[in-house]
Amino acid sequence: MFRTFLSLRYLKARKTNWIGMAGILVAVGALVLILSIMAGFLEESRRTLRGNLADLVIQPSFQSSVLQENGDWVPMQTDVERMLEIIREDPDVVAATPQLQWYGIFAPDGGESALEKPMQDAIQLIELVGIDVEGEGEATDFRESLEAEYGKKPGMGKFCNVGRPEDVEDPFVNLRDVRQRRTRLKVPILVGEQLAYLWGLRRGQEVSLVTATYDEASSKLNETAANARFQVVGSFRSKDNETDSRRIYMDRRALADFLQRDRLWSAVLVKLDDYERDKDAVRARLWSKLHAEGFLSAPGIRLNEFRTWEDFRATLLAAIQNEKALMGIMLSLVLVVAGFTVFALLSMMVTEKRRDIGILCALGATPRGVLALFLMIGLWEAVIGSALGALVGITGAYNIDAIERKLSSVFGFQIFNREIYLFDHIPAEVSFSGVAWIVGGAVFSTLLFAAIPAWRASRLDPVEALRHE
Amino acid sequence: MSDPTQHPLSADAVLSCAGVRRSFPVGERRLEILHGINLELRAGERLALMGTSGAGKTTLLHILGLLDRPTEGSVRVAGEDAWSLSPKRRANLRNQKIGFVFQFYHLLPELSALENAVLPAMIKLSRRAFRSNRAEFLDRATTMLTRFGLADRLGHRPSQLSGGEQQRIAIARALLLDPPILIADEPTGNLDRGTGEKVLEILLDEQSARGVALMLVTHDERLAKRCERVLYMEDGLIQADSSAPIPT
Ligand SMILES: Nc1ncnc2c1ncn2[C@@H]1O[C@H](COP(=O)(O)OP(=O)(O)O)[C@@H](O)[C@H]1O
Ligand SMILES: [Mg+2]
Repeated sequence: MFRTFLSLRYLKARKTNWIGMAGILVAVGALVLILSIMAGFLEESRRTLRGNLADLVIQPSFQSSVLQENGDWVPMQTDVERMLEIIREDPDVVAATPQLQWYGIFAPDGGESALEKPMQDAIQLIELVGIDVEGEGEATDFRESLEAEYGKKPGMGKFCNVGRPEDVEDPFVNLRDVRQRRTRLKVPILVGEQLAYLWGLRRGQEVSLVTATYDEASSKLNETAANARFQVVGSFRSKDNETDSRRIYMDRRALADFLQRDRLWSAVLVKLDDYERDKDAVRARLWSKLHAEGFLSAPGIRLNEFRTWEDFRATLLAAIQNEKALMGIMLSLVLVVAGFTVFALLSMMVTEKRRDIGILCALGATPRGVLALFLMIGLWEAVIGSALGALVGITGAYNIDAIERKLSSVFGFQIFNREIYLFDHIPAEVSFSGVAWIVGGAVFSTLLFAAIPAWRASRLDPVEALRHE
Repeated sequence: MSDPTQHPLSADAVLSCAGVRRSFPVGERRLEILHGINLELRAGERLALMGTSGAGKTTLLHILGLLDRPTEGSVRVAGEDAWSLSPKRRANLRNQKIGFVFQFYHLLPELSALENAVLPAMIKLSRRAFRSNRAEFLDRATTMLTRFGLADRLGHRPSQLSGGEQQRIAIARALLLDPPILIADEPTGNLDRGTGEKVLEILLDEQSARGVALMLVTHDERLAKRCERVLYMEDGLIQADSSAPIPT
């Protein structure tokens, strides 16, 4: 009993203990705050990395036939309507839409001089993506990437005039006009923001695309390249640099026309009700169904026919995860420092309290009881300090934007420059399991450090301690 | 040396030691302070221990109070050979069988008078047991402190109290668990004469009322005369055991 009572009394009566508590508070608070912001940044980066990728992307290999389980070869199917039907039947699927992808080289008018300059960045293969606007909007963040365009990013103000807000609903609005007029000259396209920036594109500007087309009958590339004129109707920002610097969207049929091909699709994008929950189950389910009908190879044969968005970004995502772990490990050194403060204070206290320890022994306390007494002082400091610290950290993380604004106005400069980052707020994400780990770590580290002076206290000779007044 | 047959064999001995030697390392060598002490304290007896300063009285009391381990010899408390017990059992003996009053009071400065007095109960009991007996112990301590004239000092810290008041709290603390043995090392050595006498009266009254065996170190001949037995110590040895007249 005396351990609880005395440890609390010592804690209350001796203000120096509060320093240890404050140290733990600051360490835990800072750790929670920093890791929350880190997690927010990384989560935001993850979202950025995703760009306009759909939850699941199915890209059949379009071989001539598919080997079934029973050993039969069946011809590979290409009927996208049937495939969409199968996919949409799945209860966890929200939307599915076809896409046609190809590659080309991009050359705007007057770009000749640009090409002569050392502009390696510009001379690259462009992703030509043919989409159904409606379906693409449902299955991906395509529409959001258009909306992000208008006036939201002061730093990118130069390109705000690419595209008009009213076109978000129907970004290829001009396409209809073009098709109705049966003029095949100007196909409307949406250009990735970086690409537009690189070439200085403006709305309405005409550009040429060059590509090699594929002859489906002979399975060979045509020797003559296709070359057609397009018109920029806007740009998009998916936030993924890769996408924004090499992708061009256009209508799926317009792209098929350009490529002179009959099969109007090369991939199907799928959006799930709850990606994290369902991704594996849906993938397995759809794969076996689509395989049974001859759309995909056997699940065991990994031809990358069926991927999640994470599969496309596996390396970078792994790096983010790694960074998170590394950051956590490095920052937990702060806990060691806090633990060390407690060690120093408790050591002092044991020295000061020698006589008290002797008295307690004389009154019948065991060495183990004395050990527990000082451990408990450390425990209280750790528990109270880290609980308050967690509270401060969590509150801080939830209000980081307001805090930053306040601090910025106090110090008179922008602490978080919203133009440097892709985000217009400081992202912070509180992970409660993370907080639990930090608090647990703080308590553990403090107890570990407190154990040394506590052990020393338990080994004191009571006679020595009592003899001198 | 811990052979119990060497202990004086009074049936009512509550505390005894046999062949106790104690030496301390001093530099390279060991300095022997106690050279083989045999004594016993009988139940309810009042025993004075006298001797010149540096004779080894405090060292002996620490050994009898189980705070210090004899280099040789054994100590029996309430019939048990203390140093053959586990540390926990020995701590229990200290807690429940022996009350200790020090020359320098030795109260815990962070606790109030009342809290200091009930500390042995806190050490004895688990949290739950203490909680259910809390009222009883507080009551017992309050009654005692009131009897000692400290009724309006219960909430005071030791630093707010005089030496006499502190020593009275220490006596209450020593008696809280009704131990059969009370050991007092010059309890008035640090007090002025008047205060010391008052404190002594309290100590002796309680002792006879409770029938607790008292072992008292004192330099005061008049006090020694009020004891049933007086032991003289010199240079680490008991020189005279007198129920007989005290040589003056
Ligand atoms: N830990 C120790 N180391 C060395 N000498 C000690 C130690 N403790 C006590 N002494 C010595 O033992 C002698 C007896 O001390 P003490 O028992 O306090 O005597 P008393 O109480 O009779 O005055 C003294 O000379 C003292 O210096
Ligand atoms: Mg002494």
